[in-house]
Amino acid sequence: MRGPGSFEALAAELEQLFARGADGPIPEDAFEDLALRVFAHQVAACPVYAAFCAARGVAPEHVVSWRDVPAVPASGFKHVELLAGPEPEAVFATSGTTRGADRRGRHFVPRLALYRASLLPSFRRWVLPGGATMPLLSLIPSPTAAPESSLSYMIGAVSDELASRTLWLSDRDGLPDAEAFRDAANGAARGGDPVLVVGTAFGLVHLLERLLESGLQVRLPEGSRIMETGGFKGRSRELSRPALREAMTRLLGVPASQVVGEYGMTELLSQLYEPVLTEGVAAAGRYVPPPWLRVRALDPGTLAEVPAGREGLLCFHDLANVGSTSVVLTEDVGTVGPDGVHLRGRVAGAEPRGCSLAVDDLLSAREATL
Amino acid sequence: MRREGRFDAWRLPGGVTCPAGVSVDGHGGAEVVRVRATAAWVETVCEALMGAGEALADIPAREIARALGRVGERFLDEDDPLRRRALEILPGTSGLSPEMCRVVLDGMARDWTEERLNVLLARELGAAEALDDFLEGAADTRARAVGPALCAQVVSGSVPGVSATALARSLLVKGPTLVKPGLGDVALPVLFAEGLAEMDPRLGDAVAVVYWPGGSRELETVALEAADVVVAYGSDETVRSLRDLSPPTTRFVGYHHRVSVGAVGRETLSGEQTVRAATEVAEAIAVFDQRGCVSPQWVWVEEGGAVAPDAFAEMVAVALEAIEDRWPTGRLDMDEAAAVQQIRGSAELLRAAGRNVRLWQGATSPWTVVYEGGTAIEPGRMCVGRVVRMRRIETLEALPEAIAALRGHLQTVALAVRRDRFDRVAAAVASAGASRVAPFAEVAFPPAWWRQDGRGVLQELVTWVDA
Repeated sequence: MRGPGSFEALAAELEQLFARGADGPIPEDAFEDLALRVFAHQVAACPVYAAFCAARGVAPEHVVSWRDVPAVPASGFKHVELLAGPEPEAVFATSGTTRGADRRGRHFVPRLALYRASLLPSFRRWVLPGGATMPLLSLIPSPTAAPESSLSYMIGAVSDELASRTLWLSDRDGLPDAEAFRDAANGAARGGDPVLVVGTAFGLVHLLERLLESGLQVRLPEGSRIMETGGFKGRSRELSRPALREAMTRLLGVPASQVVGEYGMTELLSQLYEPVLTEGVAAAGRYVPPPWLRVRALDPGTLAEVPAGREGLLCFHDLANVGSTSVVLTEDVGTVGPDGVHLRGRVAGAEPRGCSLAVDDLLSAREATL
Repeated sequence: MRREGRFDAWRLPGGVTCPAGVSVDGHGGAEVVRVRATAAWVETVCEALMGAGEALADIPAREIARALGRVGERFLDEDDPLRRRALEILPGTSGLSPEMCRVVLDGMARDWTEERLNVLLARELGAAEALDDFLEGAADTRARAVGPALCAQVVSGSVPGVSATALARSLLVKGPTLVKPGLGDVALPVLFAEGLAEMDPRLGDAVAVVYWPGGSRELETVALEAADVVVAYGSDETVRSLRDLSPPTTRFVGYHHRVSVGAVGRETLSGEQTVRAATEVAEAIAVFDQRGCVSPQWVWVEEGGAVAPDAFAEMVAVALEAIEDRWPTGRLDMDEAAAVQQIRGSAELLRAAGRNVRLWQGATSPWTVVYEGGTAIEPGRMCVGRVVRMRRIETLEALPEAIAALRGHLQTVALAVRRDRFDRVAAAVASAGASRVAPFAEVAFPPAWWRQDGRGVLQELVTWVDA
């Protein structure tokens, strides 16, 4: 049995762990030990989570595996306050649905330093490997423009720590300014130094459409790369991922080998990336978490873990979430293997059913972090 | 994936050839083969249908109703091969359990008889003959109803039978029709059209049923531009996009996202009738596995009866568990099952946070009852897979206020109240936007002549010509 550590002590310990980088694995017993201490802390510090676990008959003193820590549903962040730490330094909110009828999820973050400690090593490893730094062209609103967006906070941290300079090129709703982008890109091209473009799929589609409509020519310098994060969610014309990537190559001159997909959600403080830059373009479609984030696929009916390679609901165990709840059950479907996570796109020919179903609701596996 | 039968998801007018097929997974695991359609091919189909319109116009309306009825009745005859095939194919294509498919087929085909189609014609057009000739009307006017030259119908796949009903409605007013069913509803319109072609080639040639994935813009544009009447069933988004694609001169009939609810009066909450009411509530939830626009998503229970609202919610849960033996839940898609888990988990969290929330759920089946001890609801996500949210309400007089947030999407209100209260509550919910009020036992299968979403289903299709 492990007693609950104080939030500050646990957070400091995790920060040290994260500082070692996202490269090396964390041994099973070390992850287990940390996960169980984080669990004990969260039960002790968050009465709602404590009651949730108690109603399921789960007590920290009887849990011997991180796999048995109860998961909260991602939608729970919409309904209750899941805070396991001191006064939050930030409250990140999920976007509403397109119909605006849904309430927004809120993620209370007691210590932003821990979020930075988690996000930076991952970003460095998968988006800027080899210690690269380059100018950042962001289609994601700045943290000042979107203070409730965890994605904006993340890009802000990247801008502070990993970019040589940053241009914020979209408004607070994530609508890109195509002319400003063209000017920035062409300015960079004259200098010849590669740039990093970050954007949501939504923002990138809009940018590409504007460029097409207005006939603006853009050619990013060789070696430039793009980080694309999810979130079509019916906000834009439908465009498949391969189509988007093809369009980025054609219109921006960035080949698929330089486009990194990111998967993250407001409810998690760690993110997964496609290891395209380090492992080649064949890695596209496979998302790898940092070692302090573990992912399981669960049977949608029984919530039992499914064997590797079988489809299930993705359930995340994120140690960086020590200040809220670490285990989050999502509605995202995918397979999990030793090499990472494959997210399921829409099955060919599949369509949501129910004349009383809002399509957006069914398709919005992910709350866009915008 | 295990294949549970193979089904060709098309039926074309005579003379139209079919491009190669491509297989997709049906909701229940069947292999559904769809046409590899192109825009040019859809145009050919539309032309063939419009060409069949002349022969159709010459058939007296009553004769068409008789032919439709003869085919429709075959789906009710246990010994008829058409019904047997339907029952064989439905589970694999719809995802409903075989037992539920039987219930749904019975409920749907009940309305496809000659007798009921004639009632529908009479109620909506005054007389079926109005489709054949100018009839004398009031004040020395004469008028004739003319059906569409081509009725393009895009139907959602949530409830099997809706596409076949849509097909019959168009033919009933002498309109050749192209029906694009949703994936879960491909079986019945195809079988219905096959039956028609056997019965009378003139009718068979006036129908095309072709499945393609919804939102195939290029194909849909061709159909919408060829048609003079477009009927679209689906989410708000689907209806909006089809409306936008339709020419301004085309009549557009949209059946958008709809929500139904229910309410139980305190006088029902005592003695044996309580058990019956709980069973009827549970059955209304179970039919279509809660995917119908008539499926009650929220149920309010009035306070002051011998049985308290939360105790009644528990009785509904017990009834839902019992129904699993009779009418097992079908197969949920991964996305639907994921939604059920979120609803359950969120209910647990709300209870943990001290809210007056109770949760009952199937151990191995997805049925779920979430009771919340308040009256207000939060519209947004809908329930699937026999998930119902129950609330208490001080008095049913407050129901209009409780359902106000659903205005624009509200459809049926199911009621379990004493006879002498029915009209009063019905009038109140009508003012809140409901277009249908019915006892729980009747909500799943409205009659052929129901005014769907408050409008006459044939009146929407015809053009009156005054002379």
